[in-house]
Amino acid sequence: MVPVTASFQAESALHPAARELLLEVFDQGWADPRKLHLESRRAAILLQEAKESIANDLGLSPTEIYFLGEISLGFHLGVVGLAHSEGRLIHSSIDRQEVLALVDQFPNALQVAVNGSGEVCLPELASSDVLLWQSINAETGLLRPVPPELFDFSGTVFVDHTAYPTPATQGPSWTTALWDASSWSGPHGLSIFGLKSGTQRWRNPFPQLQQTVVPSGFSLPLAMASAVALSHWKADEIAAASTLSEMAQRIREYVAHEIPHTDFLPADLPAMPSILSLSFLYIDAERLQADLSAEGFTVDSGSACISANLEASHVLKGMGLLSQGNIRLRLHHGITVHEIEAFLPVLKRLVEKQRD
Amino acid sequence: MNGEIIDARGKRCPLPIIDLAKALTMIEIDDSLTLLSDDPATSADLTAWARMTKNLVEPQGVNEYLVTRKN
Repeated sequence: MVPVTASFQAESALHPAARELLLEVFDQGWADPRKLHLESRRAAILLQEAKESIANDLGLSPTEIYFLGEISLGFHLGVVGLAHSEGRLIHSSIDRQEVLALVDQFPNALQVAVNGSGEVCLPELASSDVLLWQSINAETGLLRPVPPELFDFSGTVFVDHTAYPTPATQGPSWTTALWDASSWSGPHGLSIFGLKSGTQRWRNPFPQLQQTVVPSGFSLPLAMASAVALSHWKADEIAAASTLSEMAQRIREYVAHEIPHTDFLPADLPAMPSILSLSFLYIDAERLQADLSAEGFTVDSGSACISANLEASHVLKGMGLLSQGNIRLRLHHGITVHEIEAFLPVLKRLVEKQRD
Repeated sequence: MNGEIIDARGKRCPLPIIDLAKALTMIEIDDSLTLLSDDPATSADLTAWARMTKNLVEPQGVNEYLVTRKN
């Protein structure tokens, strides 16, 4: 029996450094940083420190950072805050469901397809257009290199960085941006909204007295924990980079040779090694997921039988990848080679058992 | 067996494609059969299946697909 250790699901436990910090900052950072009392002044200093730390790690200015307690609020601010433009609201078929739901209410929304190489088929762009851009796809790990036609784009851009803490400097020239602290082992329920300094083209889409003010409702201790988690996570990521690449390569080679009729992102596409999506033909994903769990391995799935609405992953469909028998693996920093080597033959055995 | 109809309506993925694969082994190369499936995942998954197994799928209308064995 394989030891029950390996979790390949997307979410991860809070980084130990952030966990250690939390109790202390709940003691020190409880006051409203906007007030003038001594405790509030202390909280304001802590907030500024958190912003400077995150700004340094994500490649933007501290004045461009706004903490939010709810990621859906961030999508709303980032997308709808730009949608007052008269131009088109251009988004891709593999954007997150939150984005697809938001653009659905706008008649000027234009969905563009993604080709087999993972490239977005952009139309000719106008300066009034709003572009919604995803830096990394959370389901497949697909990296989205910036196409040359975007270098000179003068419209507004929302960049979704919620799958991975990519720096703001790595996407197209952005107007609004969004990160999710849980993508770097930070606390859940804390997202980071980026609003480009000096932009005149963003409006707060909620009823407010001042249309240029970003709503601010968040937990200061969680914001500080996010900053600490990000710094440590980035160091861990650099240290683990080559190991993660080797593990991803090993998994791809194993399934290609040992488990026929497996579909995954072609190896020549740019992708994050830590995010893998594998689809097995003739396999019931729910049963595979349960069988793997019984063997001690937890995985996610994009198959229809697993999803809440019984619809297959729109990302897999959008990219022309098989959606049945799908499992998603997230290679966290704590995963060991031993766990991967234990997982692979179990996966092969369970797929073969279902196919018999 | 050429021209057979596989009625997988009411079945959820992956059953329609499993039924199809079983039926395909019973026909000759270049022969065709018709798959009926109303599962929402079938359309996209059939395209991926055809790519992976090197067979041919041609949608015929709502929930109907003409499948030709090619190997």
